[in-house]
Amino acid sequence: MTRRARLLLCVLAAACLLPACLHVALHMPPFGAHPLPYGEAINALATRQRHVTNMVSAVNFDYRGLDTLGEEFMLLGAVTGTAVLLRGSRGEQLTARPGRVGNRPVAPRSDAVVLICRALAALTVLFGVYVVLHAMTTPGGGFQGGAIIAAATALIFLGEGYRGWRRIMRTGLLDAAEGGGAALYALCGFAAMAAGWPFLHNFLPLGTPRDVFSGGLMQIENAGVGFAVAGGFAVLFVEFLEETRAERDGDGA
Amino acid sequence: MSILIAALLLLAAATGSGVALTRTPRRQVMAMAVNGLVLALLFMVLQAPDVAFSELAVGTVALPLLFLAALASVRMDRRSDRARDGG
Repeated sequence: MTRRARLLLCVLAAACLLPACLHVALHMPPFGAHPLPYGEAINALATRQRHVTNMVSAVNFDYRGLDTLGEEFMLLGAVTGTAVLLRGSRGEQLTARPGRVGNRPVAPRSDAVVLICRALAALTVLFGVYVVLHAMTTPGGGFQGGAIIAAATALIFLGEGYRGWRRIMRTGLLDAAEGGGAALYALCGFAAMAAGWPFLHNFLPLGTPRDVFSGGLMQIENAGVGFAVAGGFAVLFVEFLEETRAERDGDGA
Repeated sequence: MSILIAALLLLAAATGSGVALTRTPRRQVMAMAVNGLVLALLFMVLQAPDVAFSELAVGTVALPLLFLAALASVRMDRRSDRARDGG
């Protein structure tokens, strides 16, 4: 396609799209206004019905708990797919040498990086656990906390180098956390069914509002999501960073 | 709309354009991390701290790390490749 034809196509497409874009832009609700009744209803009802003060968790784990189960298995599928794609023995050994890019030198870590990463990684894990545990009372939850914990493992890699990092990252445990977390969520649903309620019905005692352990079944689902997300992201990191190691003989096939 | 939100929206637009206009993949990853950081701040100011946590952990740590690992792996010297290319 010539430059002229492309330009013509671009102008034509813009002429078709522009009126629609302008129409939407001019009829949008003002900034900050939310005319949807669903949020108002949840805000009014959730604390009374489910004894939690974090409405997002109430929606994610209870009112629309099935959606979160779907997302859980999307994550599991994505991580499994990545692990299958990047299978192979490269980097599996703790002593694997770093791969070389041209003649670029592999720089050693400075002491400052090691010190900062050791201090920050511990604090970040702590903060991640805090965010997971306080899912029912304050903003955050299993996904956010799990992602924060996984981010801490990236800090450990930065501070300890590949060998020390792989010694800490027990891949068997991470796989178990990823799969077990998703299974725990699904089992919560089946447990409700076994007891005669609908799937994912919140049948556990709901506890006192504003208490860390309020929310009943949501607590267990939230823990499942936390394990699955922390394990899933950590597995991704291991799989990707294994690819930055040098090949041994026979790895290339 | 407060000045803070306006400033962050402008920053998000600027860093977003920065991602689109950066040509080197390695620099683009860094530009993307900066854009993620600005978005996390924007979510925080718009009173969505839980979304900000996710954006911070995924957009500025996980995604750039995976991209950097992938870039390093693509550009790495492979013995099998070299043997195949006769180099």
